[in-house]
Amino acid sequence: MFDYIWLVPLFPAIGVLINGLLGRRIEAVNKSLIHWIACGMIALSFIVTCIIFFQLQGLPAAERIIQVTCFPWINSGVLQTNIAYLIDPLSMMMAMFVIGIGFLIHVYSIGYMDGDPGRYYRFFVYLNLFMFSMINLILANNYLLMFLGWEGVGLCSYLLIGFWFDDEANAIAGKKAFITNRVGDFAFLIGMFLLFTGLGEHGVWSLQFNEVFSNVHYLSTNQATAICLLFFIGCTAKSAQIPLYVWLPDAMAGPTPVSALIHAATMVTSGVYMIARSNVLFSMSPFALGVVATVGALTALFAASIGLVQNDIKKVLAYSTVSQLGYMFLGLGVGAYTAGMFHVLTHAFFKALMFLGAGAVIHSMHHAYHKIHSHDDAQDMRNMGGLKDKTPVTFWTFLVGTIAIAGIPGFSGFFSKDEILWKAYSSPQGHWLLWLIGVIAAGMTAFYMFRLLFMTFFNECRAGDAAEYIHDSPKTMLVPLCVLAFLAAVGGYLGVPHALGGSNMFHHFLEPVIGLGDGKLLQDATTAVTHGAQQAVHAAGHAVHAAAGHAVEAAGHHGAHHPPLWVEYLLMAVSVAIAGFGIFIAYIMYIKKREIPVALAEKYAFVHRLLLNKWYIDELYDIVIISPLRGFSYFLWKGVDVGVIDGIVNGVARFVGWGSATLRYMQSGYVQSYAISVVFGTVILLAYYFAKAL
Amino acid sequence: MELVFLLICGGLAVISSLLVIFARSTLHSALWMVFSFFMVAIIYVLLHAQFLAMLQVIVYAGAIMMFIIFAIMMLNLRHEKDAKVNTRVSKVVGVAALIVLFLEMMLVSLGNSLSAVQGPITDTLVATHGRVAVISNFLFADYLLPFEVVSILLTAGVIGAVVLAKRVK
Amino acid sequence: MIENQSIYLAISVVLFIIGAAGAVCRRNAIVVFMCIEIMLGGVCIAFVTFSRAHQSLDGIFMVLFVMAVAAAEAAVGLAIFVLMYRKHGSIDLDKFNLLKW
Repeated sequence: MFDYIWLVPLFPAIGVLINGLLGRRIEAVNKSLIHWIACGMIALSFIVTCIIFFQLQGLPAAERIIQVTCFPWINSGVLQTNIAYLIDPLSMMMAMFVIGIGFLIHVYSIGYMDGDPGRYYRFFVYLNLFMFSMINLILANNYLLMFLGWEGVGLCSYLLIGFWFDDEANAIAGKKAFITNRVGDFAFLIGMFLLFTGLGEHGVWSLQFNEVFSNVHYLSTNQATAICLLFFIGCTAKSAQIPLYVWLPDAMAGPTPVSALIHAATMVTSGVYMIARSNVLFSMSPFALGVVATVGALTALFAASIGLVQNDIKKVLAYSTVSQLGYMFLGLGVGAYTAGMFHVLTHAFFKALMFLGAGAVIHSMHHAYHKIHSHDDAQDMRNMGGLKDKTPVTFWTFLVGTIAIAGIPGFSGFFSKDEILWKAYSSPQGHWLLWLIGVIAAGMTAFYMFRLLFMTFFNECRAGDAAEYIHDSPKTMLVPLCVLAFLAAVGGYLGVPHALGGSNMFHHFLEPVIGLGDGKLLQDATTAVTHGAQQAVHAAGHAVHAAAGHAVEAAGHHGAHHPPLWVEYLLMAVSVAIAGFGIFIAYIMYIKKREIPVALAEKYAFVHRLLLNKWYIDELYDIVIISPLRGFSYFLWKGVDVGVIDGIVNGVARFVGWGSATLRYMQSGYVQSYAISVVFGTVILLAYYFAKAL
Repeated sequence: MELVFLLICGGLAVISSLLVIFARSTLHSALWMVFSFFMVAIIYVLLHAQFLAMLQVIVYAGAIMMFIIFAIMMLNLRHEKDAKVNTRVSKVVGVAALIVLFLEMMLVSLGNSLSAVQGPITDTLVATHGRVAVISNFLFADYLLPFEVVSILLTAGVIGAVVLAKRVK
Repeated sequence: MIENQSIYLAISVVLFIIGAAGAVCRRNAIVVFMCIEIMLGGVCIAFVTFSRAHQSLDGIFMVLFVMAVAAAEAAVGLAIFVLMYRKHGSIDLDKFNLLKW
């Protein structure tokens, strides 16, 4: 079945083709056919993925890396790239949850997008195209194909953020996302070039993962650092980290299913996936890892601080996403790739759940407002409240998600977040400061998530006349919510840490890929390559040994450097206590004594304004980057383009015109003047031959 | 002896050619032209090209000059002095260029000696077989295609002349 | 190399230049035409000289074809002159610049 991996990306592509080319007609005939095709393709894709996944499970751990080459893609000199897919635990884990959640969100969209005639098919085309790109990104066995997917998801993100492009703000948000992502993509591309030439110097002209990773020892540490940092810049754009996170909150302009699928659960985690995939490369550069960890921790704290005061329900979730992504990078940065990926998985469950829940709330609010012909903001939490009884299913599922993200023991978020925090403290690349930032951010997360929950679902309803019309959303929307709530609740048990008596299945599962714990550089399906890699490790000397050694300690649960168990329990208790504290404060401020937030906002007006306006980062970028760029562009336009380039072009034209006007007098029409020209030509020719003979 | 003859004939050819240019009357030009052609024919004879000399007299001095004189008669040309000369400057320049050309060509023709491969048509061959026989042997063997092409050209020329000169009603 | 070769060539060059000068300067189309014939005559002398010098018939045939072309040219050219005269009552070349810009 492994050879049929190409079916996984193919099905969404078929969906894109059918709905994209014939969608308008299909929609005119039978609207439900559109979503049957779109969801059906994803379902088929999911089935194939499941079969392959479980087949992979059946193999011994060492053989769980399989390369499937479909056909040659770009053959140009030394660059030989195939459309080839890599089946290994990491990619299959990622594919499983991406396609699974993708399927749920497709189903959810049936209900959510119902009232959007004329664009219904287009929405599903974009979603399918996104799935196609994302699957390529995940399953690619080389950087170039990954980049193809990387660009593809960026494009779909742009198309879907600006889906309701009638409103200019949405179109601008789409552009912002696209341009910000371009910056990162550029860095990724440059990193890829560096990698290609860097290895090419030593005869390894390849971008294929297994070949790159078994030859990384050829790269000098500086080269590896440069490549890793460039890759990381790519990740900061795609995965919304400082300094390129600014597009993600604005991306909430898109339809909510899109926010859930692309801007929370899947696409934004592709940066994490890419670094986890390149873990061998990153293990060579402790400096790059340090940068990743620091940026991740700062982003986690920074975004959480903004999330504290936002009133738009989706904005809160957006900043929460940025913050959680920061966690993941923190995990990656301290060498805990499995912990990072684990958080990707659990976060995908609970964040998709919460976005879909928020979407359900917005959907209900919107319908209620629509009934009374009101144009109030359906996304503003200040207009909500008391929805607990009106939309019970949404409330209960949302509650599960909130508990999960807050890190209450027993739910998925606790396990993954705690593992990251523990690694941030205990791993050799870790630092107690990173841990502290993480814990503070965790407390903030608990606070703002429960603030959101309380403002939305508790107290009295502030929707005015619309209140009586609010009710639960259609079934197609509620079923995915329930499924996700279940996953968000129990997903964490995949990776129960040893300290809590678990076996950390997740970690073991990913071991063949992030398998540095075994002391091997990279395990491959073919033992030959493994042997080669091992020999390479020995041959390459201490540099690789050191890097591998670091990673061994970082990822390994039986590393030499290991703080005592009680420290782990203590840290766990501290983080849970802080989360509980955050929830408690939220309870006090938004249920018991609701005058406190107002009073606080007045007392610390400056801080409040600063946070409400997102630290004025957008404005800062406007002044520091955009305005000079705009000025420079204006100069290029008026000065260089109009002045110099157009000047040259027009000047050439004018010169030719003038020359022609002058030279036309040679064309006198008198036959004898032509004869004289012939004489002149002969004179010159003969003179030339004389000159040559001399 | 031959040299003297050559110089006289050459000199007469040059002088008569100059007179073609400078003669006031077009008819006089044409008559000097005939004379010039005769001189050229004599030069051909001096170069042992008697056949060409015959053709020169028959075709040029006979046929072509007949044509020209016929045209002159038909067009009833007068001396034309009324035309304002707006090409005089360029003509002076042209003559100057011609003088340079003249010097260059003299340099070419007098400065170099011909030292190419000798062909098969020796004087002995001509003496044994006869000049016309030799020429016709080559003309109808090696030069058959150009010969036929020239015949087509002449036919086209005749048709063209008829079409052009035909009075359109 | 034949006897007096340079004299033959000199005569040829002089005839050619005289013809060219006439072709450039004279305004009467028929005289210009005759001057072109003089130029051809000069060239023919050169051809025959080379032919003799190389003991080859190629130059002679060249002259033959030149004569044929000159005959065709005379037929067509004179027909054109007749036409020009009919249209404009003149064959003064300075009056004809129809093909100018």
